[in-house]
Amino acid sequence: MGEFEVHRVRFFGLVPAGVRCLACHPRGARLALARTDGAVEVYNFAANYFQEKVIPGHEARAVESLCWAAGDRLFGAGLSGDITEYDLSGLRAARGVDGGGGPIWSMVANGSGTQLAIGCEDGSVKIFQVIPGGIQFERNLDRRKGRVLCLSWQPSGTHIVAGSIDFFRVINVASGQTVQRIMVNHQVEKAKRECVVWAIALLSSGTVVSADSFGRVQFWDWEQGTLAESHTISTSAALSLAVSEREDSIIVGTSTGATYQLQLLPVKLGGLEKRWVRTKPFQFHSHDVRAVAHSPSALISGGLDAQLVIRPLMEKVQKKGYDAVLRKFTFPHRRLVSCARKARLLLFQFSQYLELWRLGSTEETGKDGEVLPLCRMPEHLVQLKSKGPEHIYCSCVSPCGTWVGYSTASRFQLYRVRCDGDGVSLRKV
Amino acid sequence: MVAPGALRVVRCGGSALCGARAVFSADCKQVGRGAGAAAYLLCASGDFVKVYSVSTEETLRLMGGHADLVTGIQLNPHNHMQLYSSSLDGTIKLWDFMDGIPIKTFTVGSKLLALYTLASAEDSVFVVIPKKGERDTYQLVSVKLTKGAGQDLESKELSVVLDGVGASMKHIAFGRQGAYVVSVKNVTLQVYFFKRKLLNRFSLSTLKTKGGDNRFSCVACHPAEDCIATGHADGKIRLWRNFHHKKEYTYSTLHWHHDIVMDLAFSLEGTRLLSGGVESVLVQWHNESSCQKDFLPRLGSPIEYISMSSDGALCCTLHTDNRISIINSNLRFSRSIQGLIKSRDVKTGLVVDPRTKALVLNGEPGHLQFYSLQNDQQLFSLDIVQRQYIHEAGLKQSDLVKVAFSAQGTWLATVEESEEVTDPELQLKLWFYHEEAQSFVLNTRINTPHDNHITDMCFRDMDGLGDDSLILVTTGRDCVFKVWVMVEDSDPEAQQSVSWSCDFVGSYHNYQATNCCFSEDGSLLAVSFEETVTVWDSLTWDLKCTFCHPPGNIRKICFGRLTCSKYLIGATDYGFLCCWNLLTCALEWSAHLNVVVLQPDPVSEHIAAVSWLSKESSLFVFKPNEPRPIYIQRNLCKEKILLAAFVPRDEPEMISSEKYLWLRKSQLFFLTDTQELMTLSTKSLEERLTPSSKQLAVEESLPVTPFSLLLGKHRRQQAQEDIDLGKPVVHNKQEQASPAVKELLHTPAHVLPSASFLCTIFINSLLISKENKSAEEVADEVEMESEKAEDDSDEEDVTAMEQEDTSHMELLGEMTCKLSKSQEKELRKIRKMDYSWISAF
Repeated sequence: MGEFEVHRVRFFGLVPAGVRCLACHPRGARLALARTDGAVEVYNFAANYFQEKVIPGHEARAVESLCWAAGDRLFGAGLSGDITEYDLSGLRAARGVDGGGGPIWSMVANGSGTQLAIGCEDGSVKIFQVIPGGIQFERNLDRRKGRVLCLSWQPSGTHIVAGSIDFFRVINVASGQTVQRIMVNHQVEKAKRECVVWAIALLSSGTVVSADSFGRVQFWDWEQGTLAESHTISTSAALSLAVSEREDSIIVGTSTGATYQLQLLPVKLGGLEKRWVRTKPFQFHSHDVRAVAHSPSALISGGLDAQLVIRPLMEKVQKKGYDAVLRKFTFPHRRLVSCARKARLLLFQFSQYLELWRLGSTEETGKDGEVLPLCRMPEHLVQLKSKGPEHIYCSCVSPCGTWVGYSTASRFQLYRVRCDGDGVSLRKV
Repeated sequence: MVAPGALRVVRCGGSALCGARAVFSADCKQVGRGAGAAAYLLCASGDFVKVYSVSTEETLRLMGGHADLVTGIQLNPHNHMQLYSSSLDGTIKLWDFMDGIPIKTFTVGSKLLALYTLASAEDSVFVVIPKKGERDTYQLVSVKLTKGAGQDLESKELSVVLDGVGASMKHIAFGRQGAYVVSVKNVTLQVYFFKRKLLNRFSLSTLKTKGGDNRFSCVACHPAEDCIATGHADGKIRLWRNFHHKKEYTYSTLHWHHDIVMDLAFSLEGTRLLSGGVESVLVQWHNESSCQKDFLPRLGSPIEYISMSSDGALCCTLHTDNRISIINSNLRFSRSIQGLIKSRDVKTGLVVDPRTKALVLNGEPGHLQFYSLQNDQQLFSLDIVQRQYIHEAGLKQSDLVKVAFSAQGTWLATVEESEEVTDPELQLKLWFYHEEAQSFVLNTRINTPHDNHITDMCFRDMDGLGDDSLILVTTGRDCVFKVWVMVEDSDPEAQQSVSWSCDFVGSYHNYQATNCCFSEDGSLLAVSFEETVTVWDSLTWDLKCTFCHPPGNIRKICFGRLTCSKYLIGATDYGFLCCWNLLTCALEWSAHLNVVVLQPDPVSEHIAAVSWLSKESSLFVFKPNEPRPIYIQRNLCKEKILLAAFVPRDEPEMISSEKYLWLRKSQLFFLTDTQELMTLSTKSLEERLTPSSKQLAVEESLPVTPFSLLLGKHRRQQAQEDIDLGKPVVHNKQEQASPAVKELLHTPAHVLPSASFLCTIFINSLLISKENKSAEEVADEVEMESEKAEDDSDEEDVTAMEQEDTSHMELLGEMTCKLSKSQEKELRKIRKMDYSWISAF
């Protein structure tokens, strides 16, 4: 074995972006994930949860919601007020359509994937038709005051439930009228605090599940307007909610970083009466869990701590194996560091700039595992800011250390680095 | 039956109540109780089943008959007046607990470790027995209870339900209407569905990650739903659902306890779950939610079992120190039943309080308990250390180590020390008995009376002389003994007139002082210094003589009494019992005996010695003047006897046999290492149990009103008076009070004057008057009272009043008969007064 000097590089200050939203493909093969910097990633479940595609972020594009529609088309909407379709083959945002209602907080597709509904800042819910090559505004539903924070479309497609601050309402899609409006905070005595409905789901049985900022998950019968069950699962806010396809399991993410599973279980053996029971708590995250998804065999959660956690449900996994393992995606899957071997340089890639460092060196030798004193400290040579609102997609430094290149979605830039003594100069090629 | 005259060892208290969960009797309206109120609490206690009254906390009945520890009690689901009990002796007994009669005995054969009954199982019960041929393996079997005419039946028809179950009754629970049975052991949970004959087994991981410990400690089943609650060694509670699926089972977790969950219980409807552990906090969880919970803290000691009454109105917790707490459904502490409190270590020894004849020993940490031997109840608990006890492993606590009473019981000396070996932080406290407060009041506190542990302490007992003769001697490992005397306090500001201070310090060749003892007349003090006994003159504190019997340190010393007061007895570590003659200063006799307990009888010349040899305790009773023991009983009991005490009898017992004459004046009590209190009795079992059954009869005949409860208490106390003259101060007062109460109760309600008027008289009657008010005055007040009542209603009621009077006099007996003249005078006065009052209308 040869001898190696191991550098402990502690000067790469990468701050990963938190997970903002998740969207599971209806057939469960793919998962789309949006980060707070606007980057969109696609994971392929079939290929060992491989990070298939990455669309780098954009300064002006904050994705609040993602959804799959019309087969394999991925749409995103955000606070910029635009609905964007992503070109998954070209790895870029393809077309944008203005929603026309201010910042968009939420977006859902109907069961067949032919229509999209968006919830806007101004309290409107708008329906868009998905047409080949784009989307087309179809109509406005009943508009009420208060931003629409979350939406859920009944699987049969007849009703939409829209959650706002202190209340949620059920809208008939055909007539466009609000058929029920339910206040969620009337039970909390003298509630001065507002109760934010962070997430909502409308089940095919007509039950509305709401997760609110008081940490409650509540089950409502929307036709009667009554509260069926209330589970206080956390002392802090419940931020996100996802229902399994069979509607017998719900995952809830909270602002303490814990996620909870609720299951619809029979009260008695062989009996027909079923009840939602809070079952398993999971604490994988250190910060808010802003996004959860429920695949047929796993609970998926993403938080502001930038982790994506896939927790398989043991009872759904047939055999022990690779699928039955808890997965945590903490590190970026792409290469963010490139190395100039001969020149002993490292190039670090951040979302908007690059940093070039020279490694420290030592003249002493020692035994295995010994820490050698440095005679020359690592040196920050240059910081290279990219131009324009687009984020850097990839970057590289040549082995001799004289060439540095990076690309964004639309441009490629190459620089020549010249080191003369202490000074470093860059020249755009 | 025991042959008459044979001496039996009888357990009389302190035996562990923690053998099994307690059981509330079902609501029994036919007894005249309020609707739905559980009247009795049944509890396994050693070899017995105890019946407590829920409303008065009293032990009503002791049902004995099992030959070994009772391990399970359950109500007969088909007849709520009957109780099944199982025992390690291999029998199941069916009792009528109202009358305390054993109805049937079913002999199963092997040890029974737990008992369960099911309403759906027609004529069988479930027991846990050890598996044949395998050690530490247990199985749950159902026993078919044979129907037969006789009392003693054989029940050998067993069918195994579950294998490999835990030995504790907490490890098995039956689900909703007996549809399934759950057993937990280590990290495995087994569920067996009776109808589908399906056995599901679930395991948790054995890894102890993050301080977690998944081992099961207890299990409980939801009464209406398919839900199992399990407690774990790390304090977690898991709620299991969907457990009829092998794979799709699921559980949620509740976590509050920081240490093992000792027991769980669901409320009647299953909406609330109660859990308890070593924190001595009862936790109530609502709707299986971890956010909604209520606490009942400071229950005194770790909770061992929780049980619910069948109507859900009450629950009770059994604690590890033998206390029972009864708790309302709204989680309010209602009352506690406490017998002999089990303390971690009885360091004080058994001491008899001369005032109440109660046994005094360590109680809950830092407290001194006064235990009444007659009614197996704690009289009171005196906080000596006066510090909050915090339950935590490894924390050094201060505890009480020595206690001594003066002859009349007016002074109490206590020594407390912290558990640290190097710096014991000693405190000697002297307490004075305060007549009005009826309690001991701290008089003097001496910090660091000795530089090292105090080994022994005694008062000079002199009945005849006044307080001047009272001195206290303490011996310490710092090689000195100290003499403490009372001094008048010169400071006029001081609240008390006397305090204690050190008078003399004696030592002998720098040996550690181990024991001290005063002779009966108080003129001599014997102090043992390791191998040597020194005798000191208590007036001049001169060393008179020394005795020595090498090898071995002196373990115990005592002086002989009465006719034998010239002898000094000592027991050494190397198994010698020596008797020295103080007049000749020579060894009179010695015997080879490994004595662990040496206890002189305070009212006779007998001395009891208990030896411990080859795992059996033997009792020897002897007089110092003759080396031959009067009485020997080998193999007194299985456990090691640690302490003994003679308690003087109130009246000498009639003892036929010559052999047991030493038991005539006082009774001998032993405390074993399992903290069971035993005594020697010449009476047979039946004789001993008669008084309690009478009490039960009294209770049943009374209708339940607050007054009747009060009356019931008075009556009982009067009844006790016959037996127990030990507490004259308290009882005399109550006897006077009872006519007032009776009068109140016998007058019809509609003719009673207003409550505010009655109140003062009633309360006065309960008060302890400062100067002993003569009985006449009190009686007069009562008479006035009844008079008013009559007169308010009608004028023509004079005759009725006369009748009332006579009946009253009958009740009161002789005492009031004498008073009748003076009463009549009083009555006349009142009558005049009253008429004028009425005419004013």
